[in-house]
Amino acid sequence: MAIDYTQEAPVVEGKYSFKEISEIISKPMEVFPDKKYFIALGISLAMFGIGIFCWILTFVYGVGKWGSNVPVGWGFDITNFVFWIGIGHAGTLISAILFLFRQRWRTGIARFAEAMTIFAVINAAVFPLFHVGRPWLGYWLFPYPNNYELWVNFTSPLIWDVFAVSTYFIVSLVFWYIGLIPDFASLRDRTKNKIKKVIYSIFSLGWRFSHRHWHNYEMIYLILAGFATPLVLSVHTIVSFDFAVSVIPGWHTTIFPPYFVAGAVFSGFAMVQNVLIFIRKIFNMEHIITIDTLEKMNKIIIVTGSMVGYAYGMEFFIAWYSGNPPELFAFLNRAFGDYSWAYWIMVSCNVIFPQLFWIKKIRRHIVFMFIIGVLVNVGMWFERFVIVVTSLSRDFLPSSWDYFTPTLVDLGILLGSFGLFFTLIILFTKTLPVVSIAEVKAVLDYAQPSHHEEVKNG
Amino acid sequence: MKNNDNSQQVTRHWISVDDFENNPKVIEKKKKEFVEGVTDEFNISTLSLLSRRKFLALVSASAAFAATACTDYKDKGEIIAYNKKPEDVTIGKANFYASTYNDGSGILVKTREGRPIKIDGNPEHPINQGKVPNYVQSAILDLYNPERIKAPQINFNGTLIETQWEIADKEIIEQLNNAVKQNKEIAILSHPIISPTTNKLINEFIAKFPTIRLYTYNLFDDIARQNAWQKCYGTDFNNSIQWDKPKMIIALEADILGTENNAIENIRLFTKRRDIENPKDFNKLYAIEGNFTLTGANADVRIRMNPIYQLGFVLGLINEVLKDNPAIDYWFDIKEKVKNYNLTDLANTYNIPVQKINNLIKDLKNNRGSSFFYAGVSLPEETQIAVNLLNEIIGGTKFYKTDDVNITFTRYSNSIELKSLMVRMQNNQVGAVIHFDTNPVYHISPEYEYAKSIDKVPLKISLTVNENETSKLCKYILPINHSLESWNDFQLRSSYISLQQPVISPLYNTRQKEAILLNWIKPQESEKIFELYHKYLKSRWENEVYPQTAQEVDFQKFWYASLHDGFIKMNSQRIEKPAFNREALKLINITSKTDNFTLQLCDNLSIKDGRYSNNGWLQELPDPITNITWDNYASISPNSARSLGLKNNDVIKVSNDNSSIELPVLIQPGMADSLICVKLGYGRTVAGTIGSNNGTNANVLINSKGLSKFLYNDISIEKTGKVNKLASTQEHHALDDEFVKDKHLERGIIKEGTLKQYIGEPDFLRKGEHHSYLGPDGMPLSITKDFEYPEVKWAMAVDLNKCVGCGLCITACNVENNVPVVGKDQVTRGREMQWIRIDRYYTGTPEDPIASVQPILCQHCDNAPCENVCPVVATTHSPDGLNQMIYNRCVGTRYCANNCPYKVRRFNFYDYRDFFANGFYYKDSLKLAHNPEVTVRSRGVMEKCTFCIQRIMEGRQEAKNEGKIFNGKDIKTACQEACPADAIVFGNLNDPESGVSKLRKHKLGYHILDMLNVRPNVTYIAKLRNTNSEDV
Repeated sequence: MAIDYTQEAPVVEGKYSFKEISEIISKPMEVFPDKKYFIALGISLAMFGIGIFCWILTFVYGVGKWGSNVPVGWGFDITNFVFWIGIGHAGTLISAILFLFRQRWRTGIARFAEAMTIFAVINAAVFPLFHVGRPWLGYWLFPYPNNYELWVNFTSPLIWDVFAVSTYFIVSLVFWYIGLIPDFASLRDRTKNKIKKVIYSIFSLGWRFSHRHWHNYEMIYLILAGFATPLVLSVHTIVSFDFAVSVIPGWHTTIFPPYFVAGAVFSGFAMVQNVLIFIRKIFNMEHIITIDTLEKMNKIIIVTGSMVGYAYGMEFFIAWYSGNPPELFAFLNRAFGDYSWAYWIMVSCNVIFPQLFWIKKIRRHIVFMFIIGVLVNVGMWFERFVIVVTSLSRDFLPSSWDYFTPTLVDLGILLGSFGLFFTLIILFTKTLPVVSIAEVKAVLDYAQPSHHEEVKNG
Repeated sequence: MKNNDNSQQVTRHWISVDDFENNPKVIEKKKKEFVEGVTDEFNISTLSLLSRRKFLALVSASAAFAATACTDYKDKGEIIAYNKKPEDVTIGKANFYASTYNDGSGILVKTREGRPIKIDGNPEHPINQGKVPNYVQSAILDLYNPERIKAPQINFNGTLIETQWEIADKEIIEQLNNAVKQNKEIAILSHPIISPTTNKLINEFIAKFPTIRLYTYNLFDDIARQNAWQKCYGTDFNNSIQWDKPKMIIALEADILGTENNAIENIRLFTKRRDIENPKDFNKLYAIEGNFTLTGANADVRIRMNPIYQLGFVLGLINEVLKDNPAIDYWFDIKEKVKNYNLTDLANTYNIPVQKINNLIKDLKNNRGSSFFYAGVSLPEETQIAVNLLNEIIGGTKFYKTDDVNITFTRYSNSIELKSLMVRMQNNQVGAVIHFDTNPVYHISPEYEYAKSIDKVPLKISLTVNENETSKLCKYILPINHSLESWNDFQLRSSYISLQQPVISPLYNTRQKEAILLNWIKPQESEKIFELYHKYLKSRWENEVYPQTAQEVDFQKFWYASLHDGFIKMNSQRIEKPAFNREALKLINITSKTDNFTLQLCDNLSIKDGRYSNNGWLQELPDPITNITWDNYASISPNSARSLGLKNNDVIKVSNDNSSIELPVLIQPGMADSLICVKLGYGRTVAGTIGSNNGTNANVLINSKGLSKFLYNDISIEKTGKVNKLASTQEHHALDDEFVKDKHLERGIIKEGTLKQYIGEPDFLRKGEHHSYLGPDGMPLSITKDFEYPEVKWAMAVDLNKCVGCGLCITACNVENNVPVVGKDQVTRGREMQWIRIDRYYTGTPEDPIASVQPILCQHCDNAPCENVCPVVATTHSPDGLNQMIYNRCVGTRYCANNCPYKVRRFNFYDYRDFFANGFYYKDSLKLAHNPEVTVRSRGVMEKCTFCIQRIMEGRQEAKNEGKIFNGKDIKTACQEACPADAIVFGNLNDPESGVSKLRKHKLGYHILDMLNVRPNVTYIAKLRNTNSEDV
């Protein structure tokens, strides 16, 4: 199929009336969930339950239930944290940066990506707060006024994390909610259920689709997009400081901020793409979340994947070029040491497989793109694992080198974090519109009618 | 109302209709200004008993009671001042008492509020000089061990019934008398007796019950050496050795700095000649060994050689030495005998570097009269004889001390005596057996079938602190006092007698083992028994010791002075060593070469012969070479492992005649090929919660057919296919892996040189160093101003020339700082908690490496990378330069440990006292073992070396009380105090006269990972090896 690149492809395929759009998107919230839904929810809740059980074990007995040791003080905990924060990056990038760049294709996926951001950040925030030895004192990481005259250490990157993650969470949540207001109003107007109506009424804040409302809405949305844009870059930059500020070879690297941001966008897009493939199929939204949109996401995956690949190469070059033997060893050890299996999983999943997206057929083939998306996420999880664990396991003094082996509790918590994430997503699909009704209507071909066009209104 | 009519009726105010109408009731009321009752006379009796104050008090009290009832506050016991304050006890201030441990070590016990909390060496003691072995330091845990036997027990077919001492005594005395009447033997099994008073008592005991025979044994005996000495000189070997005198020491399979007897003194004397201020005086140590020992690790030249070839080697050396010896005529017969032993042939046959052997011969010739050979306990009698001869030839015999000899009160029972005891037991000729604090069921070779033999003995008594394999088979189990609860005296050398005094009264219903015997000789009332042996000891001193010392003071004063000092000096007579008996050499027959494996059974530095098994600190003390805890294993060379297809942790079956054991393999670089070394003392089965079932009991391999008790030929090895993971505190890398090889040298962690290099060029270490990050003042460039330490700044220096890696510092730190025991599985996971560790690195080939040891503790960096990353400021820097840890503030992010380049931080992954062995170390009696000055850390908290801040603060407070300026001169850390080589120096860096400032400026001083600019405060003094340049 030849595409005319001089013309922007329509975001929504086919001619849908506004009413049809509203119906398609609102449908999941208006019909009672079927058996499949409950099976899916049950599975993800079971995963989540396993995670909760493992967390309880950890709280009761101590982090000794995990595989960490000295020298590898952080294992799956911080790996998972960085992984989920990374997943959360796609949302803001899609909704804020692409909005500022007037990328119309974002409308089909923005809502979902934003929701994923919020769920991923919730997921991520669990780890730094509760991975500590005394989780009941996790709140000490926040600078709160107290009569012990205690204050936090502002030179510690973990404190920067606290601010970065909490700011990111709040801004993402507000941005997401603002975007939802017109849709809440639509739902309020559509529903016949009294309880739902009350809830939607409350959340729609008295939205009446007036011009004045739209005017204010557009303005605040733009401002928030502007506000969220630097956060996309800052959050993962600051997360990367956890490592870059340290002295450990393999962590102490100036390339980390851009490399982490690229990696985060990379994994975030892969996760959005993966989940959307199911959503568009299940909820018959193939014409709203089109193959063209997915293809565009895959293109971003190639770009960011290549950036990540470049960073991998550059790390090696700098390790050699710096003339710093422990640094060079740390990187050689990644590639050829005890954890080389993890490193090569990372490289193949992150650098090699996404390059298949250069082939158009693969880029537009649902099954292939799904598999590659999954591989990207596997690779990105391993990237964090490689950074956290291999660097620590082989640091300066060979006498303290040790190997990290995860325990069942570690694996249970990892499973549980996916459980929490999918539980929230599954609940989301039936509670809120997964695609922005208002925004999609705005990008329909006939949304900005002029006298040249025959308007078929619904 | 009429009277109102006259007044101003118009302006009249009324308050109700009744008022307006002038109702009489209202008028009546108006007459009274106040309501009824208010103006009444105040009558207390009419009032409620509950006053306002009382009511409020009751309300608040009930609220308080309710609130208290709802809390789960547990009464943690009362902390009250002494009602009657004991003399010399001040709360919060430690008392120190000189005493002696049961092995004869002179100790200084620190007690707090009447409970012993730390054992150090008695600084005045002639042998110990302030240093004691690991098991003595750890004895605090043994004292408070909750599994001690708390009252006498009688065993009814396996069921232990607690009983009264009186009942047990009565029954035992009756049966002992019966045995004497029936003329049946009463056997006492004891370890060698080193106490003159106990010895006297045993003789009296024998006089009372004439059929008694005393048998003594030790698992680690030196019978081979004693026998050889008898054959060479006709006397017992009782000379101590002046290790500081020879210029060259050649240790043959002798771990003189580790497991050999008297290692504490050996280390002190040996390292005296390792003073960098006096480099020309350095001694030279050759270690010729099959196993890799601590001595081998410290040797200037280590030659690996299977112990079975060492006889040929010694004879070859004799041949070489005699070749051009002026005393040739004197040794002509010997020259004839050894002329066929050629060292080059031997070297070629057994793959030993010829260069090393040639250098040894050259050195021997250059150091005629100042070299000394020493053969280890495991070497067979013949090798010992040859070594004695070699010492005679090269003049090494002058290093035996003749004016201060080892005292022996008893001699080891030989195998014939023990065998005949077993036969008599089997024939019902033995009426009673008394285990005098011994465990022969575990210790004695299975050949004797001891357990089966004593089955026939009607009266079996065990005097013991803890239950053991032997006490389980005994009828009467009589608990005895711990060393710290006992009176006694000990004499190891002729020049002094050491006194033991109790520092705490017996914790349980136990008696001193000597008092039990005294009571059997002449039964006493039970109240008197506590003082029985004390009086006995005192009267012997009054009658026998006091007259010898020719004191001017009266006995009472002399006694108290001796108790205070912990020992008295004695005049010892000079004993000349008799002439060498040449006939001895005729006994030598060289063993033919064998292709099969040789087995060597070794001593260990922690739990010794197994009697300290139930001590967690000792079990968790890493072996100084292998760094393995909690287990024994079969050490095997990399070549042998390759040929047998073995990997680390593979379980093998080692068989020797009829016995076999299964244990995991450890590939030990530098071991001789075709040799297996196994540590004894493990595999106890009845040793309490901690001590039981760690490792494998290798005692079962001991038999009389070996080359010596500890050396066996023709061992067979079988792979079992099982795997048993050993718990090591240091990961074992493949040594030949080019990828990780020599990282410790590349990164400047270990810096070494040779003595010649140093003498020729004292600043060789720093030469050629180029640091682009250094400013003009030699300090690293910085954009911020350095923090200043105007008063005191603490620092440490570790002299690697002196440090042998014995690990005494680890135990001292454990005891001082309440370091928890974590258990084998946690060590396997890499979570050991020791604050100081000894790193061991290998350099060279796996076949024949050089080992370097290095104690690592918190480096208290000026720019500590741990401090800036802690989100809650739980680790900070003190104004005197300490990197501090605030346990209460720590939430446990572990970031500081991750960012520590030295990885010295330790994390409480669990509440280890609760986690380990079901809360074993939370038991009540063990709480008494804690140092009250050091916080006991709980779960989720980071910890690390504090430079013994509690000692610093105590010193600072004392200086303040006395109005002095605190300069930190007398502060010693626990590790420093325990170091037998005085390798650790701690002090104030701002004091230019302090030892640490001098060492820091020393040309051999270096800091680990200098390039990180974290500015550590522990200076290491580079090790100088006294090697020939060709050896390097």
